[in-house]
Amino acid sequence: MIRKTFIKENKELWRDGRVRIAFAIVVLLLGVAIWISARQYQNINEQYQIAENTERAIWDNQGEKSPHSAAHYGTYAFKPKYPLSLVDQGVDKYVGTSIFLEAHKRNEAQFSAAADQTGLARFGDLTPDFILLFIIPLLIILLGYNSFTKEREMGTLTLLKSQGISPWKWALGKWAALFFPIFIVSLLLFLITGMVLSNLKDFGVFSWQSLFSLFLVYIGYYIIFINIVLFISLKAKKSGIALVLSLSIWILACLAAPKAASNIAEAKHPYPTRQEFAANVLKDKKNGLDGHNPWSKESKMLEQEVLAEHGVDSIHKLPFNFDAYRMQKGEEHEAEIYFKHYNYLKEQYSKQTNLYQSLAVVSPYLPTRFLSMAIAKTDYTAHWDFSDTAEDYRIATQKFLNDNFAQNSSYGEWSYQADADLWSKLPKFSYEPPELSAILSTNVSSLWILGAWITISFSLFLITSKTI
Amino acid sequence: MLPYNFKYELRLLLRSRWIQLLSILLLVLFGFSTYNGKEKVEKRISDISNAKQEVKESDEAMLKLLDSVERGLEVSVSSWSIPTSPMAVGNNHPRVAAMEPQPMAFVSTGQADLFTHYIKPTVSGDDFALNFTEMTSPVQLLFGSFDLSFVIVYLLPLLIIAFTYNILSSEKEQGSLRLLASQPISIRKWVFQKLILRFFWLSILVTLSLLLVFFVVGIQPLEWVSVLGLVGLTLCYMLFWFALAFLVNLFVDSSAKNAVSLIMLWVLFVLLTPSVLNQLGNTLYPMPSRTLMINEMREQKVEATKRQDEILDNFLRDHPEYAINDSTQSRNFYHRYMASQKVVKEALEPIVNTYEAQLQRQQTWSKKLQWLSPAIVVHESMNQLAGTSTADYENYRGQVIAFAETWRSHLMTFLYNNTPFSQQEYSSLPQFEYSPTTNGTVGLSALVLLVISGVLLVFGFVAQGKSQKRGLLSN
Repeated sequence: MIRKTFIKENKELWRDGRVRIAFAIVVLLLGVAIWISARQYQNINEQYQIAENTERAIWDNQGEKSPHSAAHYGTYAFKPKYPLSLVDQGVDKYVGTSIFLEAHKRNEAQFSAAADQTGLARFGDLTPDFILLFIIPLLIILLGYNSFTKEREMGTLTLLKSQGISPWKWALGKWAALFFPIFIVSLLLFLITGMVLSNLKDFGVFSWQSLFSLFLVYIGYYIIFINIVLFISLKAKKSGIALVLSLSIWILACLAAPKAASNIAEAKHPYPTRQEFAANVLKDKKNGLDGHNPWSKESKMLEQEVLAEHGVDSIHKLPFNFDAYRMQKGEEHEAEIYFKHYNYLKEQYSKQTNLYQSLAVVSPYLPTRFLSMAIAKTDYTAHWDFSDTAEDYRIATQKFLNDNFAQNSSYGEWSYQADADLWSKLPKFSYEPPELSAILSTNVSSLWILGAWITISFSLFLITSKTI
Repeated sequence: MLPYNFKYELRLLLRSRWIQLLSILLLVLFGFSTYNGKEKVEKRISDISNAKQEVKESDEAMLKLLDSVERGLEVSVSSWSIPTSPMAVGNNHPRVAAMEPQPMAFVSTGQADLFTHYIKPTVSGDDFALNFTEMTSPVQLLFGSFDLSFVIVYLLPLLIIAFTYNILSSEKEQGSLRLLASQPISIRKWVFQKLILRFFWLSILVTLSLLLVFFVVGIQPLEWVSVLGLVGLTLCYMLFWFALAFLVNLFVDSSAKNAVSLIMLWVLFVLLTPSVLNQLGNTLYPMPSRTLMINEMREQKVEATKRQDEILDNFLRDHPEYAINDSTQSRNFYHRYMASQKVVKEALEPIVNTYEAQLQRQQTWSKKLQWLSPAIVVHESMNQLAGTSTADYENYRGQVIAFAETWRSHLMTFLYNNTPFSQQEYSSLPQFEYSPTTNGTVGLSALVLLVISGVLLVFGFVAQGKSQKRGLLSN
């Protein structure tokens, strides 16, 4: 029974001209989207390589220079792009790609792509994630809205009932018939993506395993939509009404809920403005040790401590340059301040995340979106991870430079210049993104929510099918 | 016939509870979105006024300090932050360059969540390093905001589709089409009248609920001309969707097929066209890489630092006015720094300008092609009304950079003349005043939409007239 319904429904779908056109459009759009994204991905990766090499060369060739001038001169950390961003661009467009690493200051990533685009960019891009998240659910609705209502409208329902069908087998057949084409389209898309990615040069951290997880997430998302659409089709009296109802659910889940969630999140757990943030940091800095101010109370205290520790009575007798030592202590203190303030941002964001998760009750789109971005390493957490690594590197760089200053000069010797080969001794900045298993375990709640959606919607559908 | 139709339609709409349902939906959607918009604007205003208050307080402290210094008292601050030094004033006591919200800012978030609304340019900072983006969670930027323009551009057409997709087809499906065909009125005229009446009622509902919401949420000050512009634009946009529904009702047959066709049109105009245009714009006028710009900037700076002394000499030769009143001719770090800063800035200007020029080109291009989708037209016009469009933020950026230059050169005169900054000079410090863009095209947009809808309606009439010979009931 299941198999027969499945074959009949699929034949019927395939014979419908509109369905074929809709399929062709979706496949075409996906093709274009993948092609554009692959080109952009390659482009950005090339630029990234050039920028990183040039920047390192600039750093290495500074010549003889005071280590502290070099610290102020600073260097840049560039954010790499990951292969799966081809499937989901996530928030990449809205976060910067380069972080300036300098003395005394933790900078935010600069130059987000969105700031360099017109207002049109806010409508969205033609990328695979747009098709996967918005258009394919719409396709599901168009394929499935009249799955059961048409039997009512054509009068075949009575006929079917007189045959003594078992309702759940019949329903499962219909379900499988709707699932099959969607499954094939997604499978093809992911296979093509995998092939494109493994053929690109320097595809870096691409793994089929991540791609497969991404595929499963999307299949889960589509299963939820299939369940909902068929459930509505079972309940509704007319095809038109079923269609309008399914569409309302789609709008609510994919368009309205995320926007409303973002408004509520901002109103409840706002970020400080950029200027406020800077002012707060400055206030904390003023209250603590300033590496450049030997006259402050904190500096005097530090001086006494160090003198006592080394058992000497004057800073001139210390075995290292106290100026540089104080700068390093100041640097550590400032790093703590930044840590505190950036942590506050993270806290605000994690509160916002909780809110998004609680709203996932009305929208399966939200957990899917977050999971998809996380697996593609294009979510906000991935950005934080990169920026924290860059900050660790900045702190290590400052220590490297200040230590050199302290060891090789004496107190008051501000004119000290380090050798030209010092700079290349600084280890290169390297960033390893988190592994898939780590990503999945941090997003385990989204997985649960998605799982709950699948189970509940499917049982609802099966239970309702008995009452037809 | 019209009066009958009018009465019948109203009764039908009331009894099928369409009017009640729509009123509630509209009130909820408009209410929630207007409330969100108002909250954002209020936060913006309070952020700006806090920043101004802070500057006011720090100015008072500065004046006190100056007073003590001028009276020869000892002060307990580090030597480089005493405000007699013009550079200390320029760096530690910057002015707030704020972009105050326009009266209609609540209508559309536009780019307001992406860009900052106040900035404090300092004398030693780089113009191109001024960060105009706001600190926001990128997830919020990705999802966008539930604002009034979202409701009008995205959701209102869907309400219209649900309201109109089965006008003719439901008659067919219920079997009352034969009855209708026997009436002394042509079908297209009947569909047209029915649609226009629905448009009329929906317009009234939309206008009333908008006004009610503005009143209840408490939008202050309410600019009537702009509100009129908003309502006019919304009605023209609605008429466009009614015209599409008219065509679909005439040419497609069953209710479900009508709905599918209309949804396809909605996806095409609201989702696909904008994203395709954006993608095309980026491909045709690609932004040069910012990461490569950083490399360029760094190299220029290295070069400038090496030649600092030479640069300063050249600078003073080119600008004798700066050193003319200075008898001491003493030169310190800042003299060299500011001069080489200027050189770097001038060297980088062409590079920075390529970004602005490219953005400008993208914008001109998208301005031309926006007519492909009424959704873009309306969205852009609402951003204009709200003063939150890309052009507004470009304008603000330009004004801030010009102000930064004024601020710098004002204080540089003190620096190169080696004259200390004093209390009397305080009142002549430059102030920033944002002047909003004025050349709005809201009226034009509304007019064009009106014309397009008119053309669609006439086309429906003419084309259906021709095909009617085949007979309405054959099939």
